Amino acid sequence: MGRENLAGEALILLRSRLCNPKFIFSPFSDSPDSNYSKLKFILSSSVTEACNNSVLLLGPRGCGKNAVLELVIEDLLKEYPDMISVIKLNGLLHSDDNCAVKVQLDTLLYLLVVAIVLTYLNIFVTRECGLAHKTVMFVLDEFDLFAQGKQRLLYCLLDAMQSVTSQAVVIGVSCRLLERDFERELAVAQRRMTASRASSVQREPHPHRRVKSRQIEPHRCQTGAQSEPIGALEGQSKSGEADPVLSEPLQSPGLGAKQDRTLQTYRTLQTLCPEHRPKPRKLGTQKDADQLLEKRVRSRFSHRKLLFLPPSKEDLQRLIKHILVLPTDSSLPHDYVVEFNAKLLNILAKERFKQIIDTLSNSDSTCSNLLRFLFSAVCHMDLKTGFLLIENFKAALSSIQRQPKLEGLKDCSILELYMLVCMWRLEVREQDSYNFNSVMKEYRSIHDSFQTSDYYARNVCLRAFEHLLERELISFMDHRGHNQSTEFRPAKLLISYHELYQGLKSYRSCPIQISCTNETRTKGSNAAVSSRRKKGRQQKPNRFNVNHLKFAAWFAAVWIEEENLVPSVLGKGILNLFPFHP
Amino acid sequence: MGALNNFSVGRWLTVGFDYPKSIWRVELTTSLQLSVPDIFLQQLAGELFNQNYRILYIFKDMGKEESPQVVTRRTTRSSSSSTPNSKNLETTKSCNPQPMTINDLVFGDEPISFDDLISSLPGRRSQIHELVRLLGPLNSPTIPLFIYGGTSTGKTSVVLQIFRYLNRPFVYTSCRTCYNPRVLFESILNQLSLHRKDVGNGYSSAKRCERPSDFVNLLREALLTVVNNLKGHLENSSSKKSIGRISGKMVYLIIDNLELVREWDKSANLLPFLFKLYAILMLPEVGLVYISNTSPDTYYSDTGYIEPIPVYFPDYTEEDLRQIFLRNQANQKLYSSFLEVVLRPFCRTTRRVDELSAAFSPLFKKYCEPLSDLGISPSEEMKRRLFSHLQPHIMPSLNEVFKISSRPSSEGESNKEKANRQGCTQRLRGCPAIDEIDFHMSTSAKYLLISAFLASRNPATLDASLFDSTGGSDNRKRKRNSSVKSMEHKEAAEQELLMKGPGTFPLERLLAIFQCITSVEEYTLEEEEPGTNSLGVESVGYKGGSCPLEGSTRYRSTVSEDMALKVII
Repeated sequence: MGRENLAGEALILLRSRLCNPKFIFSPFSDSPDSNYSKLKFILSSSVTEACNNSVLLLGPRGCGKNAVLELVIEDLLKEYPDMISVIKLNGLLHSDDNCAVKVQLDTLLYLLVVAIVLTYLNIFVTRECGLAHKTVMFVLDEFDLFAQGKQRLLYCLLDAMQSVTSQAVVIGVSCRLLERDFERELAVAQRRMTASRASSVQREPHPHRRVKSRQIEPHRCQTGAQSEPIGALEGQSKSGEADPVLSEPLQSPGLGAKQDRTLQTYRTLQTLCPEHRPKPRKLGTQKDADQLLEKRVRSRFSHRKLLFLPPSKEDLQRLIKHILVLPTDSSLPHDYVVEFNAKLLNILAKERFKQIIDTLSNSDSTCSNLLRFLFSAVCHMDLKTGFLLIENFKAALSSIQRQPKLEGLKDCSILELYMLVCMWRLEVREQDSYNFNSVMKEYRSIHDSFQTSDYYARNVCLRAFEHLLERELISFMDHRGHNQSTEFRPAKLLISYHELYQGLKSYRSCPIQISCTNETRTKGSNAAVSSRRKKGRQQKPNRFNVNHLKFAAWFAAVWIEEENLVPSVLGKGILNLFPFHP
Repeated sequence: MGALNNFSVGRWLTVGFDYPKSIWRVELTTSLQLSVPDIFLQQLAGELFNQNYRILYIFKDMGKEESPQVVTRRTTRSSSSSTPNSKNLETTKSCNPQPMTINDLVFGDEPISFDDLISSLPGRRSQIHELVRLLGPLNSPTIPLFIYGGTSTGKTSVVLQIFRYLNRPFVYTSCRTCYNPRVLFESILNQLSLHRKDVGNGYSSAKRCERPSDFVNLLREALLTVVNNLKGHLENSSSKKSIGRISGKMVYLIIDNLELVREWDKSANLLPFLFKLYAILMLPEVGLVYISNTSPDTYYSDTGYIEPIPVYFPDYTEEDLRQIFLRNQANQKLYSSFLEVVLRPFCRTTRRVDELSAAFSPLFKKYCEPLSDLGISPSEEMKRRLFSHLQPHIMPSLNEVFKISSRPSSEGESNKEKANRQGCTQRLRGCPAIDEIDFHMSTSAKYLLISAFLASRNPATLDASLFDSTGGSDNRKRKRNSSVKSMEHKEAAEQELLMKGPGTFPLERLLAIFQCITSVEEYTLEEEEPGTNSLGVESVGYKGGSCPLEGSTRYRSTVSEDMALKVII
């Protein structure tokens, strides 16, 4: 009984840790080359030297941009009380003025907003900043959303920064990563990989790479990397300002050492979604956070960027330890804490645990994913014994990494599977568009040739079809034609053949006919499939599994190397998969 | 999705219950005016949309005195979710609602034990365990949860029942009833600030809130007050030990039917906002639970979002279904022998409880027909006899999606239901029983239907040759001729028809064809006006527009060929 209480207490402690981003990112604050230190340096220098500044924090979601920023601001507020005032704006919340204005009344309301902003700024600036010598920090979360439309707010902010004698710092936070940055990253990773392969020496983890994030100093890359295949760096005129903090060489998170497995995973990915090739996006629709800025806004923005990347393997380990090890100085009894920690460390050292973490970070190595995993693992803890077991982590892994489409397939009834197989057969036949009626025709022909016992009336099939739509295993081709009835709207499959095949294989009581109709069909039409794949590479617009997307980035580098393909052909497509990019 | 009233009335009527339309309307409005707590209305409406026939039960409850037996007779999971309804109905009847207290944030009914929780929701054991684990012990912060699974897999019921078991305060909103951001935001705020819409405040919300930015501020404020109240409440109850039914100082926000948000305007910003709400609020005392029909990967947006922890509710297996259907049956043995016969074949088409229960109830009646005493437990021989009695009915019922038991009202039918009805009359393809249409249709309506069918299926260019301007006396024959002529094009046309569906036509054309047909049958044109009205709803899909005779409204006939043939006969 007492043990259960203890375990409950420990559980609450762990859960509250996991829900507190500040706690999670605090261990990274000590090392000198962390983003924390750099950001703090930038901000504190602009406070002390009374200068204006602007900085952009970039990185995928869940890498602690905001948490680190919070930590820094908290520290600064402590260090320089009464000198800083922070204004936080979130693009999701506050950019709708812009949107609304853009959509509705053009100039009138617009000017009003601008006037308000301006007066606000003036008052603020003169009263607060001018008189009290305060530094105003504007934190713009979801920065890219502010960059929509005419960017009056940004312009006003940045302009006011330059014109008024006071100090202000604009901090943009965005997950729209620069493609160029990313490509550069990839190229460097690739180079290093080649190097490591040539010397056939396993790369030791870089001694400085203890922090999960690093930066790119664009200028350096441009000049220092002649061999870089993708180096179109334009609009970076201002970015070359020499800043000692920003000139750390690039690192990649252990890619070289891991290439074989990565490649393997990539192949699995390839088999998982062979048809889901991305279509190259139109250039121009694809802009990164700072390219979105208008010219005059951009000219006022100092292109200082901090890049936040997912933590490396060692950092992950460190992070896990940091989170899960119970403190000895808490209200929990000492014996329990010691035992708990000993067991935990034992687990962490196990090879099996490392495998689990590898599987996890292969799909998504961001901190938020790790947190979710740990949270789930902690929730699986048996309160009776009161200790974490390796089984908890295994269970958590399977509950976090889900394959929704396969799950959906498992839930389908036999008739729904028939519908899917019919649609697949139609797709193999390269029928450009098909709707329920053609599926029904196919269903009838299957019935005629195989004499299945599952032959149902049209309306029952229509219901099955609608269920599939509801499950989002299939969808309509277009969003037009809402006034057409379901039967006539062209539809498409949202799952690949392999998913379908896997689903059918794992289906408990799948009738033999379905699987064999499926088999014969594909065997006979391999050519059709491959031509379709080719087509898919160009135009297949299907949805992707998010996990697939997240994989793809790192594989790109490996793949480019392995297949000796020109990066510009391949890289573009794969890069578009990268989750930072819309 | 339109407002609650119109939509639900339409849906309700199409089921063909015995209630006249007016009663339904009155019921609905009274319940609204008595200002039932939000959660009831939301549940009601959620159910309205999910499963048509449930409403009947709810209103039976309303009509009779509150009788738990009626409720428990329900065969589906709704038996659990209906209990709050009956409780809330009580408060409705009292007509003099108490001012809401913080206790209203927990589940209305008496708390249940964990065993009851498990047994009341068959087939959901592992999901319940997982959710309870994820929600964690008292006062433990939680990462947002994302519950997903197909329709009618018990997501909402399980979550609500778990909160009933845990006795923790929560706020439930469904994106189905809250059909735009403003209603959603205000509903959450109303519940949190314990505000009830009534005559006194003119059915207005506690706060007007349209934008996410306002919402965040108001929500934070409201949550902080609630959390403080809860803390105070805890202290009080620990000293007095009398009131404390509510436990914990966490507040949970449950957002149901999240998939609908994707259809809203500006959903591109709203969805990431909802997913990020936890991070934006930064209040550890708030737990968020999202419930959705579709899997997390369907929410993937431009810049990604912070993913909550997924919890999957798979469809019920056959064994689960057996347990569900056996619940609350008077004669378990009889019903289980019935299920042995029907469950397996039906599961091949659908495994949804709502659809199955609709199909089973008439079948079970059939099954029981030869029995005089419903209480007996059937012997092997009896089972065989019953089976052979039932067998001929299984196949037809498998091929039906919709059974209309009472006389159908021909008014107010939308396209969709029309299609269903069509299916109902259309028997199994194997035995093309050309039976009469099973509802009454006036002759002029039939003619209108036919002319609409013709107008939709034939290209307008053919009209002149089919019907001459004199209103040709032998248009039937001519039509046949022309169809012979176009035999060679038939294949292509058929393909096109398969893909494109029936065409649209303006009203004038319909009337012209109608005139041509009726002039043969010596019909006067007086019928035209009332005819048009019924046509608007009967067979033709509106494409918008208010007045059917004016403007350029175009129509489309969705009647199938079989149906048209039947009408002619």
